[in-house]
Formats: sequence, structure tokens, C-alpha cells
Amino acid sequence: MTHPPEPRHLTPDEIELWAQGLLPAVRDVHVGECAECRVTAERERKLLRELAQLTRFAPEFGFVERVMAKVKIPAPSGPYLRPDPDA
Amino acid sequence: MAWAKQGHEAAFRELVRRYERPVFSLLYRMVRDRSLAEDLAQETFIKVLNAIASYNPQFKFSSWIFKIANNAAIDHLRRRELDTLSLDGSPHATTPDEMSATALQLGDRGETPLQELEARELGGAIEHAIARLRPEYRACILLRHVEGHSYEEIARMLELPLGTVKTYIHRARNELRGYLEDRKA
Repeated sequence: MTHPPEPRHLTPDEIELWAQGLLPAVRDVHVGECAECRVTAERERKLLRELAQLTRFAPEFGFVERVMAKVKIPAPSGPYLRPDPDA
Repeated sequence: MAWAKQGHEAAFRELVRRYERPVFSLLYRMVRDRSLAEDLAQETFIKVLNAIASYNPQFKFSSWIFKIANNAAIDHLRRRELDTLSLDGSPHATTPDEMSATALQLGDRGETPLQELEARELGGAIEHAIARLRPEYRACILLRHVEGHSYEEIARMLELPLGTVKTYIHRARNELRGYLEDRKA
């Protein structure tokens, strides 16, 4: 007589997949049945949401101009790459 | 990209415009100093644009630029660690004046407008938690969960084994959850 395999807790990779809604259904069932994994996965999902919503900060106004003033701009000479003279 | 590789100024500008926020944000969260982050971002873009002819399009442009930005941040943090950890001043100081100039200033916490802005921008619980991570963990977690790079891309960018990147990210997430829960408790 064979026994069903022991329910294995989610690995960190699987928890990340679950938080992104990408965990295969067969493992998703385990989350529904295992309170420990469900709590961990919910906490992970909350953290990943917070990280994804972090502000994109902007540098001070005029950043592009300040960079461009210091970049060597070669004159366009056609479709082929020119070697960097300082390389 | 092809236009930038041919040296078209408009294409250079477009690349800077497209990546200025993500690159600056990564650097700002790594060094937590606005003007320093801007200097490092400028340094990053200048390096990238001056070497654009050597860019290998097999790799994502974003991976290349973030690699250079992260190296700039890590180099800076290593230098700062050497220079400022001593209360008595930099280990490189050779005169009393140099030691005094580089010593940690305790109690000197009057905030400039820029520091006030930094406190507002980086003052939230999640920002504090990110700041407490080791720089290696911080870079990995930001590249993965803020910039959306894959583990493989991060491993290439940071020149680390894939397993190390996974470990750093898992540990960073554990630490972040721990910090955030401690604050609530």
C-alpha cells in the first residue's frame, strides 16, 4: 500500500511565485491547506507589493544637460561602429 | 540603441532621460545622500555613454547600466567605510587638522533643506528597513523587486554565482520582514 507524499512546505522560490500569482496549481493547493505556508506567503506578498510601489526618485532638474556637457559625442558617421579613441 | 551606438546626440539624451530615475533611485537608496547619488549617477552615465561603442547588444542595456551604477555605489561605500568609521578621523589622515576634518561629528545633526528632503523621501518604514540591509543584499533586493530583473540577470550584473544571488535575496526578504514586524510590535 502506498501513502501520499508528505506535504512539503513552500520553498522561498515557491513563496515568491505564489506572491506573484505564478505558483503551479498543484502547489497552490498546499497553500490552501497549510496555515504556516499561508501566513508566510501572505507576509511575502505584502512585502513584495511594498517594494514594487517604492517611489522612483528623480535627480535635480537639469540632470540630462549636466551629463551631456561631460560626454564625448562623436559625429555620426554612418551605420558602422567607430572605436572609442580613448579605449 | 543603434542610434546611440552611432553617436547621435539625441539618442544619448533619450537614454539618459529613460534611465535617469531608475539609476538615480538605485544609487540614492544605496548611499542615502542625494547629492552624492547624483554625482554617482552622472559618473555612471558618462562612463556608459563614452563606452557605448563597446556595448554588447546580447545583454540588456539596463543590465549594463545598473552594473556600472552598482559598482560605483559599492566602491563608494567601501571607501566611506575605510574613511569614516573611526571617531578619531580617517586612517589616512596624517596631520591633526586632517584627523579633525575627517572625524565623525557626533551631535552635529542640524538639518539642511537637502537633508530634510532626504529625511522625507527616505523616512518611511520600508526605506529604513532597506537601509539596514548589507549593501550586497540591498543591491540585490532593489534590482530584483524594484527594477524587476531576473535572478540570472542580477548574477551577471553583480558577477556573483546564481545561488549566491538567490541566498542574498531570500535573506534580504527575511530581514526586511523582520524589521518591518519589529517596528509594528
